[in-house]
Amino acid sequence: MSEPVILLDGVEKTYPYFRLTNIALQLDAGQILGFVGPNGAGKSTTLRILMAMVQQDRGTVRVLGRSLPREQAAAKQDIGFVSEDMRLHGSESLAWHMRLVADLCPGWDAAYATALVGRFNLHPEQQVRALSHGERIKAALLLALARRPRLLILDEPTTGLDPVARHEVLAELMDVVQDERRAVLFSSHNTHDVEQISDQIAFIDRGRIVDTGDKETFLDRWRRLRLDVPPGVTLPAAAGVIDTSTSGRQAIVTTRAYAPGFEAGYAAAGVGIHAVERLTLEEIFVATVMHNRRERAA
Amino acid sequence: MSGSVVARLIRKDLVLARWPVTGALIGGAASLAIMPLTSVTAYVGGVTFVCVLVILNIILVMNGVVQERKDKTQIFILSLPVSTAQYVAAKVVANALAFTVPWAVLSAAAVVVIVRSPIPDGLLAFWAVLLGYLLAYYFVLLGVALLSDRSGWHASAITVGNISINLLIPALLNLPSIARQTSSPIAVWTADIVALTLGEVLVGAVVLAWAIRYRSRRADHV
Repeated sequence: MSEPVILLDGVEKTYPYFRLTNIALQLDAGQILGFVGPNGAGKSTTLRILMAMVQQDRGTVRVLGRSLPREQAAAKQDIGFVSEDMRLHGSESLAWHMRLVADLCPGWDAAYATALVGRFNLHPEQQVRALSHGERIKAALLLALARRPRLLILDEPTTGLDPVARHEVLAELMDVVQDERRAVLFSSHNTHDVEQISDQIAFIDRGRIVDTGDKETFLDRWRRLRLDVPPGVTLPAAAGVIDTSTSGRQAIVTTRAYAPGFEAGYAAAGVGIHAVERLTLEEIFVATVMHNRRERAA
Repeated sequence: MSGSVVARLIRKDLVLARWPVTGALIGGAASLAIMPLTSVTAYVGGVTFVCVLVILNIILVMNGVVQERKDKTQIFILSLPVSTAQYVAAKVVANALAFTVPWAVLSAAAVVVIVRSPIPDGLLAFWAVLLGYLLAYYFVLLGVALLSDRSGWHASAITVGNISINLLIPALLNLPSIARQTSSPIAVWTADIVALTLGEVLVGAVVLAWAIRYRSRRADHV
């Protein structure tokens, strides 16, 4: 079995008002990991540790079989990185940047870069400072993709993009990940984008990973049950219930341990079942974060 | 490969610095060209010459080091197969080349202008200390930019550096070893002039070396 593309174990980083605590993550070749968290949760810090731009205080960071930060230059030969706040040199053109990256990166694919210029409707001779936000992100993505990296790390790349530009960026990413040797780590607070392209999910909140797993399992094990609780009947305890709200006879139960037959326990206790609903990734994310915060506050 | 990566990053930064460097060379040459004409143009040319080097210093450090961090262009460069140590080394060497080469060229040109024109050669001693100060000012400002991300420190270093020129010039002109040769056709290199010139450059170089060491050891680069 080959080594994971990304392996984080026990990673910690402390700032005056923020702490990344015991981060453990694994990403294998061919997988797309959606890294979801609210603003300030620690997504960018984690990704910058993976790029050795920030050095962890403790813990192991291995990327593409290389130990970071020690072997960062060698690891970055095969990593493409784009972040929403990353800027290119405003006084220079996209073509200038393409020449720079081609000069520094042996894997540069000039034909693919030209194809992406057309697909993204970019103008290579245009000064970067004249590009819109969407064009800037697409230019940065082009510079990362044309390196043909084995690992693509994207830090909120779709933030601030209009729907068309977002569609173009996501479509290109979907195309990229057809190659099973590649892996993508995609951070966002937009769960719709993550749900669309990821096959693995990790939730982070306040510097801690609060849940992780493959997307289908996530979606399968979460359910919202709308129940009718007759007078005199008590809701039975059930596995994985993280939230229960009642209003008169109506009760809404949210569980993260749903399995076929789960609702049978309620039916046996005399509780009526109005509906069993799947949750969207956004609902799961919000429920997970809120549950985690309540538990830590308790 | 490591060496060539640093060389490529240096070349990249030198390309980015091409316009301020070109402007400084043209501005410096023009100010030197008018110096021998009259006593008024000698004064105007001298002041302009100093201003050109001060402006080049500030533009190179603020655009090449500080602004690159603020604009997050640094993140783009560090996303390439470049280590943080290579990035810092290339940044310092490129920035230093972009300043010291025009400084050296213009300093040599200033010496030629003074020696070959009616301007008294005795002023060479004054110019040597002044040019030494401008080099030291550059080293210190680059050092402050490497040490701190806070714009308050950068603004303070620029303010102190600029005010110090205004204090340094009258102080030098009143220094006996310089004052007695401002009209002399021969430059006399007394021990205090040599010590002052070398001392300025040494202090600047020490500050810069310390800043480079500190920056290279920093854990976080963005």
